[in-house]
Amino acid sequence: MTQELVFLAFASLIAICSMMVILSRNAVVSAIFLVGDLFCLAGLYASMEAHFVAAIQVLVYAGAIVVLFMFVIMLLNLGPDQRKHLEVSAPEIGVLGLTIVGFLVIGGLLLLGQPTGVTGPLTAEAIDNAGGNTYTVGMVLFTKYLWPFELASMLILLAIIAAIVIAKKEHIKDGDKRRLAHG
Amino acid sequence: MGLTELIEVLSSDTAIQVIASIVKILIVLVLCLQVPPLMVWAERRAPAMMQRRKGPNRVGLFKFRLYGLLQSAADAVKLIFKEEVVPRGANKAVYHIAPIFGVFTAMMVACAIPYGNDISVFGQKVSLSPIHLDVGFLFIFAISSLAVYAVTLAGWASNNKYSLLGSLRASAQMISYEIPLGMSLIPLVVIFGTLDLNKMVLAQSAYPWSWGVVKAPISFLLFLVCMFAETNRAPFDLAEGESELVAGFHTEFNSAKFAAFFLSEYVAMFVLSCLAATVFFGGWQTPFIPYETLLSLLGGMEWLAALAGFVCLIVKAAFFMWVYVWVRWTLPRFRYDQLMSLGWKFMLPVGLVNLLVTTLVVAFIENAGRH
Amino acid sequence: MNPYLPVLIVLLLGVGLGGILSGLAHFVGPRKPNRIKEEPFECGVPAVGEKDKMSVKFYLTAILFILFDIETVFLYLWAMTFRDLGWFGIAEIIVFLVVLFGGYIYVVKRGALEWD
Repeated sequence: MTQELVFLAFASLIAICSMMVILSRNAVVSAIFLVGDLFCLAGLYASMEAHFVAAIQVLVYAGAIVVLFMFVIMLLNLGPDQRKHLEVSAPEIGVLGLTIVGFLVIGGLLLLGQPTGVTGPLTAEAIDNAGGNTYTVGMVLFTKYLWPFELASMLILLAIIAAIVIAKKEHIKDGDKRRLAHG
Repeated sequence: MGLTELIEVLSSDTAIQVIASIVKILIVLVLCLQVPPLMVWAERRAPAMMQRRKGPNRVGLFKFRLYGLLQSAADAVKLIFKEEVVPRGANKAVYHIAPIFGVFTAMMVACAIPYGNDISVFGQKVSLSPIHLDVGFLFIFAISSLAVYAVTLAGWASNNKYSLLGSLRASAQMISYEIPLGMSLIPLVVIFGTLDLNKMVLAQSAYPWSWGVVKAPISFLLFLVCMFAETNRAPFDLAEGESELVAGFHTEFNSAKFAAFFLSEYVAMFVLSCLAATVFFGGWQTPFIPYETLLSLLGGMEWLAALAGFVCLIVKAAFFMWVYVWVRWTLPRFRYDQLMSLGWKFMLPVGLVNLLVTTLVVAFIENAGRH
Repeated sequence: MNPYLPVLIVLLLGVGLGGILSGLAHFVGPRKPNRIKEEPFECGVPAVGEKDKMSVKFYLTAILFILFDIETVFLYLWAMTFRDLGWFGIAEIIVFLVVLFGGYIYVVKRGALEWD
């Protein structure tokens, strides 16, 4: 009962924040609501006793990725959206329609089958007995999911290289412009 | 509902835990509110002492001047009753919520420090850190990583070039030093095998030679540097280099909003000092007197033992607070490129090597112990 | 008792305290705005020019921060389980770190960490 109430509270907060992310005219305000959104998502994880994922959600998403978003917004020096009315283009309507259809399909599938309420062997008690949430996640990651973990390092490596290549290109262009400007 | 039923409800296990946690939270919040006035006072009197000046010593109650201690109270009252001037072109909503980010993150993190060993209240085991989670100090990192928004938003919302530049510098600095900060504490997790701060304190025991600072000295040095960088304090306070950026991200903030930034900055310093004391200097452990001995010396009264532990932690943290002040009046400011290359080019690789060496040493020692 | 209950209480109290401080500034104290007073501070001279665009460096720092932050998270997980994984775990993490250290060396060599 309490669990459901907590879920409903966080879920509605997430829905409100997500709406505000889309609807607010100022990009920085959108980013603030995104932080709230990700924070509430962490609350949802916490209510499912996924402590580690909840902490990481805040640390990486709310505390790092949105910082990058904010820097990008400031880098581009975006002003508030000047449009008076909300204009929706054809592709956006298409995406909206697809999303609604998707939700309906998921809802229908949930109604047809009984996929909910089935817990695996790793219940909250089992995890507590095994030495806590963080420990269990670590043990599973470093034994069963060893290859995905090592691949993650390759992924991070690729991301580092890509970031440098893209940012450096910009940098050189800037330098060229400055050189051109100075004659 | 009658009185007896009320007592029955209030004495149930859950109710005791809930009431205890509310009491703990309120105590910690009140404690946090004492930090800024005391530190402001210390930061005026200490440099005065170093520079052979008197410093503020006038404000007092009647004839009692208390070395000017009440100057901070006067300042707080003044800040609250000052006029708030919002600069033209500022983003009003963001301008008003930016200080809140700083205050609530600082308060939440302060509640995650273990202020003493577990005590029992009416037969219930109560942990003396108000927030006690399975993820331990990953919670501290997670929440304190949100503090960067106070700086970023404040600078952006003020519509001032200096504020924006100061806030960008400060936030880039804070995120850059978050990595060595995290990295410097991993060897401690390797050594003590836990993320739980209270268990870490217990594992360190009361004897200084088994404290974190002895087992991982390099980690401590890295952490010490990160402490200054994370809080934007001298010698890394170039986000508010007066001579070039006025006051950095809070240039346009005044009255109680400025007080809010002050509060969050000093509470953040206090939390990092407590964390340093907890992880590297045995936390609430009384030096040389193990907890059991202390308990029997005090006639088995857990309350007194907890109080002694609390005092020990505060004394240790106060030492680091003093280091903050001391360093501020001793070292000159870094240049921004020096700051960034110190973080990325020196602290990061040193942190990694430190982690690997610590791991190998721990692994060899434990392997040798097994045979 | 759910361990997150105190988190929620502190969150509410902290936001409340911040809100009170922020609100006090708004409601207590005099309000006599005038044009000059509301000018953004610029050392006493009229404000010149637009807000400067920031350097791409900050953006690069933020991206590198995310990547190394993720690495730190993995290291925490590993540090928790290191005793039970034994030498195999150490080998695992060394492979992981070597790959990332390659990336780090690339970053340094390309001069992405130079602030000029």
